[in-house]
Amino acid sequence: MSESKFETISSLVDNYRVAEQSSEQVIDDMLKDEHLSAAWQQYHLIGDVIRDEIPQILQLDLSAQIAEAIADEPSILAPKTLTKVNDPQSGFKAKVVQLIKPVGQLAIAASAAGLMIIGVQQNTADTNEIITPSQIVQTKPLAGFANPVSFNYQQNDHSRTQSHQATALEQRIAQQHRFQALLSDHQQQVKLSAAKSAQSKDAKQSLLEKDGEIVNN
Amino acid sequence: MKSLSLKLPIKLSFLLCFVSACFSFSAIAADAEQAKLSLERLSQSLRQLNFNTSFVVVKNNQAEPYHWLHGVTEVPLSNRTDTQADTAKQEVELEILALLNGPRRDILRVGNTVSYIEPEYAPYSIASAQISGPIPAVFGRDISVLENNYHFVSVGKSRVLGRAAQLIRIVPQDAHRYGYWLWLDQDSGLMLKLAVITRKGKLLEQIQFTHLEITESLSENLKQLQVTELPKVIELSAKENDTELAWQVNWLPDGFEEVKSDRHRMNSSKQAVEFMLFNDGLVDISVYVNPSQDKQRAVEYASDGATLVLNQVVNNIEVSVVGKIPLSSAEKIVNSVSFNPNKLN
Repeated sequence: MSESKFETISSLVDNYRVAEQSSEQVIDDMLKDEHLSAAWQQYHLIGDVIRDEIPQILQLDLSAQIAEAIADEPSILAPKTLTKVNDPQSGFKAKVVQLIKPVGQLAIAASAAGLMIIGVQQNTADTNEIITPSQIVQTKPLAGFANPVSFNYQQNDHSRTQSHQATALEQRIAQQHRFQALLSDHQQQVKLSAAKSAQSKDAKQSLLEKDGEIVNN
Repeated sequence: MKSLSLKLPIKLSFLLCFVSACFSFSAIAADAEQAKLSLERLSQSLRQLNFNTSFVVVKNNQAEPYHWLHGVTEVPLSNRTDTQADTAKQEVELEILALLNGPRRDILRVGNTVSYIEPEYAPYSIASAQISGPIPAVFGRDISVLENNYHFVSVGKSRVLGRAAQLIRIVPQDAHRYGYWLWLDQDSGLMLKLAVITRKGKLLEQIQFTHLEITESLSENLKQLQVTELPKVIELSAKENDTELAWQVNWLPDGFEEVKSDRHRMNSSKQAVEFMLFNDGLVDISVYVNPSQDKQRAVEYASDGATLVLNQVVNNIEVSVVGKIPLSSAEKIVNSVSFNPNKLN
Protein backbone atom coordinates (compact mmCIF):
# COMPACT_ATOMS: atom_id res chain seq x y z
CA MET A 1 0.00 0.00 0.00
CA SER A 2 2.66 2.40 1.10
CA GLU A 3 4.85 1.37 -1.83
CA SER A 4 2.08 2.04 -4.30
CA LYS A 5 1.47 5.42 -2.66
CA PHE A 6 5.10 6.39 -3.22
CA GLU A 7 4.77 5.19 -6.78
CA THR A 8 1.69 7.37 -7.26
CA ILE A 9 3.52 10.37 -5.84
CA SER A 10 6.40 9.71 -8.21
CA SER A 11 4.07 9.67 -11.19
CA LEU A 12 2.32 12.82 -9.95
CA VAL A 13 5.69 14.56 -9.74
CA ASP A 14 6.28 13.54 -13.34
CA ASN A 15 2.97 15.14 -14.19
CA TYR A 16 1.33 11.85 -14.91
CA ARG A 17 -1.94 10.94 -13.20
CA VAL A 18 -2.39 7.25 -12.53
CA ALA A 19 -6.03 6.82 -11.78
CA GLU A 20 -8.45 9.49 -10.72
CA GLN A 21 -9.40 8.01 -7.41
CA SER A 22 -6.10 6.71 -6.20
CA SER A 23 -4.18 9.89 -7.07
CA GLU A 24 -6.72 12.09 -5.29
CA GLN A 25 -6.56 9.79 -2.32
CA VAL A 26 -2.77 10.05 -2.28
CA ILE A 27 -2.89 13.83 -2.47
CA ASP A 28 -5.19 13.91 0.53
CA ASP A 29 -2.90 11.52 2.40
CA MET A 30 0.09 13.59 1.43
CA LEU A 31 -1.40 16.66 3.06
CA LYS A 32 -1.86 14.74 6.30
CA ASP A 33 1.19 12.49 6.29
CA GLU A 34 4.51 14.23 6.86
CA HIS A 35 6.38 11.24 5.50
CA LEU A 36 4.55 11.33 2.20
CA SER A 37 4.89 15.08 1.76
CA ALA A 38 8.63 14.75 2.41
CA ALA A 39 8.72 12.18 -0.37
CA TRP A 40 6.91 14.65 -2.69
CA GLN A 41 9.58 17.22 -1.93
CA GLN A 42 12.44 14.77 -2.39
CA TYR A 43 11.12 13.48 -5.71
CA HIS A 44 10.93 17.02 -7.00
CA LEU A 45 14.49 17.66 -5.90
CA ILE A 46 15.65 14.46 -7.61
CA GLY A 47 13.87 15.52 -10.76
CA ASP A 48 15.47 18.95 -10.61
CA VAL A 49 18.93 17.45 -10.15
CA ILE A 50 18.46 15.05 -13.04
CA ARG A 51 17.24 17.87 -15.31
CA ASP A 52 20.05 20.07 -14.02
CA GLU A 53 17.64 22.74 -12.87
CA ILE A 54 18.88 23.20 -9.33
CA PRO A 55 19.64 26.76 -8.29
CA GLN A 56 23.13 27.80 -7.19
CA ILE A 57 22.12 27.98 -3.56
CA LEU A 58 19.86 25.23 -2.43
CA GLN A 59 17.13 26.12 0.00
CA LEU A 60 15.92 22.67 0.83
CA ASP A 61 13.34 23.53 3.39
CA LEU A 62 11.76 26.67 1.99
CA SER A 63 8.23 25.85 3.08
CA ALA A 64 9.27 25.49 6.70
CA GLN A 65 11.00 28.88 6.56
CA ILE A 66 7.96 30.56 5.09
CA ALA A 67 5.76 29.00 7.74
CA GLU A 68 8.12 30.33 10.41
CA ALA A 69 8.14 33.78 8.87
CA ILE A 70 4.35 33.86 8.82
CA ALA A 71 4.24 32.83 12.44
CA ASP A 72 6.65 35.63 13.34
CA GLU A 73 4.60 38.21 11.47
CA PRO A 74 2.68 40.47 13.89
CA SER A 75 -1.01 40.17 13.29
CA ILE A 76 -2.59 43.42 12.08
CA LEU A 77 -5.99 44.25 13.36
CA ALA A 78 -7.97 46.61 11.17
CA PRO A 79 -10.79 48.08 13.22
CA LYS A 80 -13.81 49.52 11.49
CA THR A 81 -13.61 53.30 11.26
CA LEU A 82 -16.29 55.00 13.24
CA THR A 83 -17.84 58.11 11.78
CA LYS A 84 -17.50 60.88 14.31
CA VAL A 85 -20.82 62.54 14.76
CA ASN A 86 -20.18 64.86 17.62
CA ASP A 87 -17.03 66.77 16.85
CA PRO A 88 -17.69 70.46 17.43
CA GLN A 89 -14.47 71.58 15.77
CA SER A 90 -14.97 69.80 12.45
CA GLY A 91 -18.56 71.01 12.27
CA PHE A 92 -17.41 74.55 12.77
CA LYS A 93 -14.79 74.28 10.05
CA ALA A 94 -17.27 72.89 7.62
CA LYS A 95 -19.52 75.86 8.21
CA VAL A 96 -16.72 78.33 7.61
CA VAL A 97 -15.77 76.63 4.39
CA GLN A 98 -19.39 76.57 3.30
CA LEU A 99 -19.70 80.27 3.98
CA ILE A 100 -16.52 81.29 2.22
CA LYS A 101 -16.80 79.15 -0.86
CA PRO A 102 -20.13 80.33 -2.28
CA VAL A 103 -19.20 83.98 -1.80
CA GLY A 104 -15.94 83.48 -3.63
CA GLN A 105 -17.54 81.51 -6.41
CA LEU A 106 -20.33 84.02 -6.91
CA ALA A 107 -17.89 86.87 -7.19
CA ILE A 108 -15.91 84.93 -9.73
CA ALA A 109 -18.91 83.88 -11.71
CA ALA A 110 -20.13 87.47 -11.84
CA SER A 111 -16.94 89.16 -12.84
CA ALA A 112 -14.94 86.55 -14.62
CA ALA A 113 -17.40 84.40 -16.48
CA GLY A 114 -15.62 82.96 -19.43
CA LEU A 115 -12.23 83.05 -17.83
CA MET A 116 -10.68 79.72 -17.24
CA ILE A 117 -7.87 79.60 -14.82
CA ILE A 118 -6.12 76.50 -13.72
CA GLY A 119 -3.56 76.58 -11.00
CA VAL A 120 -2.78 78.87 -8.15
CA GLN A 121 -0.80 82.07 -8.10
CA GLN A 122 2.79 81.25 -8.47
CA ASN A 123 5.42 82.22 -5.99
CA THR A 124 7.92 84.45 -7.69
CA ALA A 125 10.70 83.39 -5.38
CA ASP A 126 11.06 79.90 -6.79
CA THR A 127 10.32 80.50 -10.45
CA ASN A 128 13.83 80.04 -11.71
CA GLU A 129 13.80 76.28 -11.45
CA ILE A 130 10.43 75.69 -13.06
CA ILE A 131 10.39 75.18 -16.78
CA THR A 132 6.66 75.05 -17.30
CA PRO A 133 4.52 77.40 -15.27
CA SER A 134 1.63 76.24 -13.18
CA GLN A 135 -0.76 78.78 -14.61
CA ILE A 136 -2.63 78.32 -17.81
CA VAL A 137 -4.42 81.10 -19.55
CA GLN A 138 -7.28 80.40 -21.89
CA THR A 139 -6.78 82.15 -25.20
CA LYS A 140 -10.32 82.27 -26.39
CA PRO A 141 -12.55 82.86 -23.43
CA LEU A 142 -15.73 83.03 -25.50
CA ALA A 143 -15.08 79.98 -27.59
CA GLY A 144 -18.01 78.16 -26.02
CA PHE A 145 -16.42 75.49 -23.91
CA ALA A 146 -18.69 73.24 -21.92
CA ASN A 147 -17.48 74.45 -18.57
CA PRO A 148 -15.98 77.92 -18.87
CA VAL A 149 -15.85 78.77 -15.19
CA SER A 150 -13.78 76.31 -13.30
CA PHE A 151 -12.03 78.34 -10.72
CA ASN A 152 -10.66 76.52 -7.76
CA TYR A 153 -10.16 79.28 -5.30
CA GLN A 154 -8.82 78.12 -2.00
CA GLN A 155 -7.85 80.45 0.72
CA ASN A 156 -5.73 78.65 3.24
CA ASP A 157 -5.25 81.67 5.41
CA HIS A 158 -8.56 82.13 7.21
CA SER A 159 -7.42 85.25 9.01
CA ARG A 160 -7.64 87.20 5.76
CA THR A 161 -10.67 89.40 5.51
CA GLN A 162 -13.26 89.36 2.81
CA SER A 163 -12.09 92.62 1.28
CA HIS A 164 -8.57 91.30 0.99
CA GLN A 165 -9.89 88.33 -0.89
CA ALA A 166 -11.88 90.56 -3.17
CA THR A 167 -8.87 92.67 -4.09
CA ALA A 168 -6.78 89.56 -4.62
CA LEU A 169 -9.45 88.30 -6.96
CA GLU A 170 -9.63 91.57 -8.82
CA GLN A 171 -5.89 91.49 -9.24
CA ARG A 172 -6.07 87.94 -10.50
CA ILE A 173 -8.72 88.85 -13.01
CA ALA A 174 -6.81 91.91 -14.16
CA GLN A 175 -3.76 89.69 -14.58
CA GLN A 176 -5.73 87.23 -16.70
CA HIS A 177 -7.03 90.09 -18.84
CA ARG A 178 -3.49 91.28 -19.39
CA PHE A 179 -2.32 87.82 -20.40
CA GLN A 180 -5.22 87.37 -22.79
CA ALA A 181 -4.70 90.77 -24.37
CA LEU A 182 -1.01 90.01 -24.86
CA LEU A 183 -1.67 86.56 -26.31
CA SER A 184 -4.26 87.71 -28.81
CA ASP A 185 -2.17 90.71 -29.82
CA HIS A 186 0.87 88.47 -30.28
CA GLN A 187 -1.11 86.21 -32.59
CA GLN A 188 -2.43 89.21 -34.47
CA GLN A 189 1.03 90.69 -34.93
CA VAL A 190 2.39 87.37 -36.18
CA LYS A 191 -0.38 87.30 -38.82
CA LEU A 192 0.35 90.84 -39.91
CA SER A 193 4.09 90.24 -39.93
CA ALA A 194 3.67 87.70 -42.74
CA ALA A 195 2.52 90.51 -45.00
CA LYS A 196 5.15 92.81 -43.69
CA SER A 197 8.01 90.45 -44.45
CA ALA A 198 6.95 90.29 -48.08
CA GLN A 199 6.80 94.08 -48.21
CA SER A 200 10.13 94.56 -46.51
CA LYS A 201 11.76 92.29 -49.07
CA ASP A 202 10.34 94.47 -51.80
CA ALA A 203 11.45 97.55 -49.89
CA LYS A 204 14.94 96.15 -49.50
CA GLN A 205 15.04 95.31 -53.18
CA SER A 206 13.94 98.78 -54.17
CA LEU A 207 16.52 100.21 -51.78
CA LEU A 208 19.19 98.07 -53.38
CA GLU A 209 18.08 99.22 -56.80
CA LYS A 210 18.30 102.82 -55.66
CA ASP A 211 21.79 102.20 -54.32
CA GLY A 212 22.68 100.67 -57.65
CA GLU A 213 21.44 103.78 -59.43
CA ILE A 214 23.48 105.97 -57.18
CA VAL A 215 26.53 103.86 -57.86
CA ASN A 216 25.82 104.01 -61.55
CA ASN A 217 25.41 107.74 -61.46
CA MET B 1 61.44 48.02 -24.85
CA LYS B 2 58.69 48.15 -22.32
CA SER B 3 57.66 51.64 -23.31
CA LEU B 4 57.41 50.59 -26.93
CA SER B 5 55.08 47.74 -26.11
CA LEU B 6 52.93 50.18 -24.12
CA LYS B 7 52.78 52.77 -26.86
CA LEU B 8 51.55 50.38 -29.45
CA PRO B 9 48.24 49.54 -27.74
CA ILE B 10 47.64 53.24 -27.07
CA LYS B 11 48.12 54.03 -30.74
CA LEU B 12 45.87 51.15 -31.65
CA SER B 13 43.13 52.31 -29.32
CA PHE B 14 43.36 55.82 -30.75
CA LEU B 15 42.99 54.39 -34.19
CA LEU B 16 40.02 52.34 -33.09
CA CYS B 17 38.42 55.35 -31.47
CA PHE B 18 38.93 57.35 -34.62
CA VAL B 19 37.45 54.65 -36.84
CA SER B 20 34.41 54.17 -34.62
CA ALA B 21 33.92 57.93 -34.38
CA CYS B 22 34.01 58.13 -38.15
CA PHE B 23 31.35 55.46 -38.37
CA SER B 24 29.09 57.09 -35.81
CA PHE B 25 29.51 60.52 -37.39
CA SER B 26 28.61 59.19 -40.79
CA ALA B 27 25.58 57.47 -39.26
CA ILE B 28 24.45 60.73 -37.64
CA ALA B 29 25.09 62.62 -40.86
CA ALA B 30 23.03 60.08 -42.78
CA ASP B 31 20.20 60.50 -40.24
CA ALA B 32 20.34 64.27 -40.55
CA GLU B 33 20.41 64.05 -44.34
CA GLN B 34 17.44 61.69 -44.30
CA ALA B 35 15.57 64.04 -41.93
CA LYS B 36 16.23 67.03 -44.12
CA LEU B 37 15.01 65.17 -47.20
CA SER B 38 11.82 64.24 -45.35
CA LEU B 39 11.25 67.85 -44.32
CA GLU B 40 11.87 69.07 -47.85
CA ARG B 41 9.36 66.52 -49.08
CA LEU B 42 6.86 67.76 -46.48
CA SER B 43 7.34 71.32 -47.68
CA GLN B 44 6.82 70.23 -51.28
CA SER B 45 3.74 68.14 -50.44
CA LEU B 46 2.18 70.99 -48.47
CA ARG B 47 2.51 73.24 -51.51
CA GLN B 48 1.71 70.83 -54.33
CA LEU B 49 -0.88 68.29 -53.17
CA ASN B 50 -4.65 68.56 -53.12
CA PHE B 51 -5.49 67.49 -49.61
CA ASN B 52 -8.50 67.59 -47.34
CA THR B 53 -7.58 67.02 -43.74
CA SER B 54 -8.71 67.52 -40.16
CA PHE B 55 -6.60 67.95 -37.09
CA VAL B 56 -6.94 68.65 -33.39
CA VAL B 57 -4.71 70.98 -31.41
CA VAL B 58 -4.34 69.55 -27.92
CA LYS B 59 -3.21 71.96 -25.24
CA ASN B 60 -4.27 72.96 -21.71
CA ASN B 61 -6.30 69.75 -21.46
CA GLN B 62 -8.49 71.00 -24.29
CA ALA B 63 -8.84 70.09 -27.92
CA GLU B 64 -9.41 72.56 -30.76
CA PRO B 65 -10.60 70.89 -33.96
CA TYR B 66 -9.67 72.33 -37.35
CA HIS B 67 -10.51 71.54 -40.94
CA TRP B 68 -7.79 72.23 -43.47
CA LEU B 69 -8.10 72.13 -47.24
CA HIS B 70 -5.41 72.79 -49.78
CA GLY B 71 -5.32 72.60 -53.50
CA VAL B 72 -3.47 73.80 -56.56
CA THR B 73 -5.21 75.12 -59.63
CA GLU B 74 -4.09 76.71 -62.85
CA VAL B 75 -5.31 80.13 -63.87
CA PRO B 76 -4.44 82.07 -66.99
CA LEU B 77 -1.94 84.84 -66.40
CA SER B 78 -3.89 88.07 -66.26
CA ASN B 79 -1.30 90.71 -67.08
CA ARG B 80 -0.15 89.31 -70.38
CA THR B 81 -1.14 90.29 -73.88
CA ASP B 82 -4.14 88.57 -75.41
CA THR B 83 -2.19 86.26 -77.65
CA GLN B 84 -0.21 84.84 -74.77
CA ALA B 85 -3.13 84.53 -72.38
CA ASP B 86 -4.42 81.32 -73.96
CA THR B 87 -1.24 79.40 -73.38
CA ALA B 88 0.44 81.02 -70.40
CA LYS B 89 -0.90 79.60 -67.16
CA GLN B 90 0.06 80.12 -63.60
CA GLU B 91 -0.29 77.72 -60.69
CA VAL B 92 -2.23 79.17 -57.79
CA GLU B 93 -2.53 77.63 -54.36
CA LEU B 94 -5.92 77.61 -52.63
CA GLU B 95 -6.21 77.03 -48.92
CA ILE B 96 -8.91 77.02 -46.23
CA LEU B 97 -8.24 76.59 -42.53
CA ALA B 98 -11.30 76.69 -40.28
CA LEU B 99 -11.65 76.33 -36.53
CA LEU B 100 -14.68 74.11 -36.02
CA ASN B 101 -15.62 74.94 -32.42
CA GLY B 102 -16.86 78.27 -31.10
CA PRO B 103 -17.16 81.45 -33.14
CA ARG B 104 -15.99 81.25 -36.73
CA ARG B 105 -12.29 81.69 -37.31
CA ASP B 106 -11.54 81.00 -40.93
CA ILE B 107 -8.41 81.66 -42.89
CA LEU B 108 -8.74 81.72 -46.67
CA ARG B 109 -5.89 81.93 -49.11
CA VAL B 110 -5.82 82.40 -52.82
CA GLY B 111 -2.28 82.63 -54.11
CA ASN B 112 -0.63 85.60 -52.47
CA THR B 113 -3.71 86.88 -50.67
CA VAL B 114 -4.65 85.63 -47.22
CA SER B 115 -8.00 86.58 -45.63
CA TYR B 116 -8.81 86.30 -41.96
CA ILE B 117 -12.40 86.01 -40.78
CA GLU B 118 -12.43 86.44 -37.02
CA PRO B 119 -14.96 87.60 -34.43
CA GLU B 120 -12.72 90.41 -33.17
CA TYR B 121 -12.27 92.21 -36.49
CA ALA B 122 -14.09 92.92 -39.69
CA PRO B 123 -12.83 90.49 -42.34
CA TYR B 124 -9.55 91.63 -43.85
CA SER B 125 -6.92 90.38 -46.24
CA ILE B 126 -3.20 90.78 -46.31
CA ALA B 127 -0.73 90.27 -49.10
CA SER B 128 1.05 87.12 -48.02
CA ALA B 129 1.78 83.67 -49.36
CA GLN B 130 1.41 81.89 -46.03
CA ILE B 131 -1.41 81.38 -43.59
CA SER B 132 -0.68 81.91 -39.94
CA GLY B 133 -2.37 79.09 -38.07
CA PRO B 134 -1.43 76.51 -35.46
CA ILE B 135 1.05 74.83 -37.80
CA PRO B 136 4.25 76.84 -38.26
CA ALA B 137 4.28 78.30 -41.77
CA VAL B 138 7.94 77.38 -42.26
CA PHE B 139 7.05 73.71 -42.84
CA GLY B 140 5.49 74.67 -46.15
CA ARG B 141 8.43 76.83 -47.13
CA ASP B 142 12.21 76.66 -47.25
CA ILE B 143 13.13 74.63 -44.17
CA SER B 144 16.86 75.22 -44.61
CA VAL B 145 16.44 78.52 -42.69
CA LEU B 146 16.11 76.38 -39.57
CA GLU B 147 19.49 74.70 -39.98
CA ASN B 148 21.37 77.44 -38.16
CA ASN B 149 19.43 77.00 -34.94
CA TYR B 150 18.11 73.45 -35.04
CA HIS B 151 19.34 69.95 -35.85
CA PHE B 152 17.19 67.59 -37.88
CA VAL B 153 17.17 64.00 -36.70
CA SER B 154 15.40 61.09 -38.31
CA VAL B 155 14.43 58.87 -35.41
CA GLY B 156 12.31 55.94 -36.44
CA LYS B 157 9.07 54.68 -37.83
CA SER B 158 5.73 54.32 -36.15
CA ARG B 159 2.05 54.16 -36.97
CA VAL B 160 0.03 57.37 -36.87
CA LEU B 161 -3.48 57.90 -38.28
CA GLY B 162 -3.40 54.31 -39.48
CA ARG B 163 -0.46 55.06 -41.73
CA ALA B 164 3.23 54.29 -41.70
CA ALA B 165 4.94 57.38 -40.34
CA GLN B 166 8.51 58.58 -40.10
CA LEU B 167 9.39 60.50 -36.94
CA ILE B 168 11.60 63.53 -37.48
CA ARG B 169 12.86 65.57 -34.57
CA ILE B 170 13.76 69.22 -34.91
CA VAL B 171 16.15 69.63 -32.00
CA PRO B 172 17.21 73.10 -30.85
CA GLN B 173 20.94 73.71 -30.75
CA ASP B 174 20.70 75.56 -27.43
CA ALA B 175 18.57 75.37 -24.29
CA HIS B 176 16.64 78.56 -25.09
CA ARG B 177 13.87 77.09 -27.22
CA TYR B 178 11.69 74.03 -27.63
CA GLY B 179 11.99 71.01 -29.87
CA TYR B 180 9.47 69.97 -32.49
CA TRP B 181 8.66 66.37 -33.32
CA LEU B 182 6.99 65.62 -36.62
CA TRP B 183 5.42 62.39 -37.74
CA LEU B 184 5.35 62.38 -41.54
CA ASP B 185 3.32 60.13 -43.79
CA GLN B 186 5.56 57.81 -45.78
CA ASP B 187 3.21 57.75 -48.73
CA SER B 188 2.44 61.41 -49.23
CA GLY B 189 5.11 63.10 -47.12
CA LEU B 190 2.41 65.10 -45.33
CA MET B 191 2.26 65.74 -41.61
CA LEU B 192 0.32 63.33 -39.40
CA LYS B 193 1.27 64.62 -35.98
CA LEU B 194 3.29 67.46 -34.52
CA ALA B 195 4.42 67.88 -30.93
CA VAL B 196 6.21 70.66 -29.07
CA ILE B 197 8.57 69.15 -26.54
CA THR B 198 10.78 70.67 -23.85
CA ARG B 199 14.44 69.79 -23.57
CA LYS B 200 13.56 67.39 -20.76
CA GLY B 201 11.07 65.61 -23.00
CA LYS B 202 7.88 67.07 -21.57
CA LEU B 203 5.01 67.41 -24.04
CA LEU B 204 3.58 70.94 -24.12
CA GLU B 205 1.30 70.98 -27.11
CA GLN B 206 0.46 68.66 -29.92
CA ILE B 207 -1.40 68.57 -33.18
CA GLN B 208 -2.91 65.25 -34.09
CA PHE B 209 -4.35 64.77 -37.55
CA THR B 210 -7.59 62.84 -37.50
CA HIS B 211 -8.35 62.53 -41.19
CA LEU B 212 -6.34 62.81 -44.37
CA GLU B 213 -7.53 62.57 -47.92
CA ILE B 214 -5.41 63.25 -50.96
CA THR B 215 -7.26 63.81 -54.21
CA GLU B 216 -6.43 64.35 -57.86
CA SER B 217 -8.92 67.16 -58.37
CA LEU B 218 -9.89 70.22 -56.37
CA SER B 219 -12.52 69.76 -53.68
CA GLU B 220 -15.85 71.60 -53.94
CA ASN B 221 -15.02 74.05 -51.15
CA LEU B 222 -11.86 75.14 -52.91
CA LYS B 223 -13.65 75.55 -56.22
CA GLN B 224 -16.06 77.87 -54.43
CA LEU B 225 -13.18 79.75 -52.86
CA GLN B 226 -11.76 80.31 -56.32
CA VAL B 227 -14.78 82.37 -57.34
CA THR B 228 -15.31 84.06 -53.97
CA GLU B 229 -14.50 87.71 -53.64
CA LEU B 230 -12.06 88.13 -50.78
CA PRO B 231 -12.06 91.10 -48.39
CA LYS B 232 -9.97 94.09 -49.33
CA VAL B 233 -6.23 93.82 -48.82
CA ILE B 234 -5.17 96.18 -46.06
CA GLU B 235 -2.17 98.33 -46.75
CA LEU B 236 0.37 98.35 -44.01
CA SER B 237 1.96 101.74 -44.28
CA ALA B 238 5.70 101.71 -44.11
CA LYS B 239 5.60 104.61 -41.68
CA GLU B 240 4.27 102.63 -38.75
CA ASN B 241 6.80 99.88 -39.27
CA ASP B 242 10.37 99.94 -38.04
CA THR B 243 9.70 102.75 -35.62
CA GLU B 244 12.60 104.07 -33.64
CA LEU B 245 11.85 103.08 -30.05
CA ALA B 246 13.19 104.38 -26.75
CA TRP B 247 14.33 100.97 -25.62
CA GLN B 248 16.06 97.89 -26.92
CA VAL B 249 16.27 94.18 -26.26
CA ASN B 250 19.86 93.29 -25.48
CA TRP B 251 19.57 89.54 -25.25
CA LEU B 252 17.77 87.05 -27.45
CA PRO B 253 18.57 83.42 -28.21
CA ASP B 254 20.95 83.12 -31.17
CA GLY B 255 19.27 83.32 -34.53
CA PHE B 256 16.33 85.52 -33.57
CA GLU B 257 16.06 88.51 -35.84
CA GLU B 258 13.88 91.56 -35.65
CA VAL B 259 10.86 91.27 -37.92
CA LYS B 260 9.29 94.60 -37.08
CA SER B 261 8.87 97.27 -34.45
CA ASP B 262 5.98 99.69 -34.07
CA ARG B 263 3.59 101.51 -31.76
CA HIS B 264 0.02 100.31 -31.74
CA ARG B 265 -3.01 99.81 -29.54
CA MET B 266 -3.86 96.33 -28.38
CA ASN B 267 -7.26 95.38 -29.71
CA SER B 268 -8.80 93.96 -26.56
CA SER B 269 -7.42 96.29 -23.87
CA LYS B 270 -6.94 99.43 -26.02
CA GLN B 271 -3.60 99.79 -24.29
CA ALA B 272 -1.03 101.72 -26.32
CA VAL B 273 2.16 99.74 -26.53
CA GLU B 274 5.57 99.87 -28.12
CA PHE B 275 6.20 96.59 -29.79
CA MET B 276 8.95 94.48 -31.31
CA LEU B 277 8.61 91.12 -33.04
CA PHE B 278 11.44 88.63 -33.44
CA ASN B 279 11.63 85.34 -35.29
CA ASP B 280 14.13 82.50 -35.69
CA GLY B 281 12.38 80.89 -38.65
CA LEU B 282 10.12 78.73 -36.51
CA VAL B 283 9.26 80.68 -33.35
CA ASP B 284 7.89 84.22 -32.93
CA ILE B 285 8.71 86.32 -29.87
CA SER B 286 6.83 89.53 -29.11
CA VAL B 287 8.18 92.14 -26.70
CA TYR B 288 5.85 94.86 -25.40
CA VAL B 289 6.77 97.97 -23.44
CA ASN B 290 4.23 100.42 -22.05
CA PRO B 291 3.79 102.77 -19.08
CA SER B 292 1.92 101.29 -16.14
CA GLN B 293 -0.07 102.70 -13.22
CA ASP B 294 1.67 100.29 -10.89
CA LYS B 295 5.06 101.28 -9.55
CA GLN B 296 6.44 97.75 -9.29
CA ARG B 297 5.02 94.35 -10.05
CA ALA B 298 6.94 91.11 -9.72
CA VAL B 299 7.27 88.74 -12.64
CA GLU B 300 3.99 87.04 -13.54
CA TYR B 301 3.60 84.42 -16.20
CA ALA B 302 1.09 82.03 -17.67
CA SER B 303 1.14 79.54 -20.46
CA ASP B 304 -1.17 78.63 -23.30
CA GLY B 305 0.13 75.27 -24.43
CA ALA B 306 3.71 75.98 -25.40
CA THR B 307 3.15 79.74 -25.61
CA LEU B 308 4.43 81.62 -22.60
CA VAL B 309 3.23 85.08 -21.53
CA LEU B 310 5.50 86.87 -19.08
CA ASN B 311 5.02 90.29 -17.64
CA GLN B 312 6.63 92.57 -15.06
CA VAL B 313 6.57 96.23 -14.02
CA VAL B 314 9.71 98.08 -12.98
CA ASN B 315 9.60 101.81 -12.22
CA ASN B 316 6.16 102.29 -13.78
CA ILE B 317 7.19 100.61 -17.01
CA GLU B 318 5.55 97.36 -17.96
CA VAL B 319 7.56 94.90 -20.05
CA SER B 320 5.96 91.77 -21.49
CA VAL B 321 7.25 88.85 -23.55
CA VAL B 322 5.08 86.39 -25.49
CA GLY B 323 6.25 83.37 -27.45
CA LYS B 324 6.80 79.64 -27.61
CA ILE B 325 9.94 79.76 -25.51
CA PRO B 326 10.92 78.36 -22.10
CA LEU B 327 10.44 80.48 -19.00
CA SER B 328 14.17 80.93 -18.49
CA SER B 329 14.54 82.47 -21.96
CA ALA B 330 11.58 84.83 -21.44
CA GLU B 331 12.96 86.00 -18.11
CA LYS B 332 16.34 86.63 -19.66
CA ILE B 333 14.75 88.65 -22.46
CA VAL B 334 12.64 90.76 -20.06
CA ASN B 335 15.65 91.50 -17.90
CA SER B 336 17.75 92.47 -20.90
CA VAL B 337 15.45 95.30 -21.98
CA SER B 338 17.25 98.61 -21.48
CA PHE B 339 15.96 102.15 -21.92
CA ASN B 340 17.39 105.14 -23.57
CA PRO B 341 16.78 107.85 -20.93
CA ASN B 342 16.91 110.72 -23.42
CA LYS B 343 13.96 109.49 -25.40
CA LEU B 344 11.81 108.28 -22.52
CA ASN B 345 8.93 110.52 -21.53
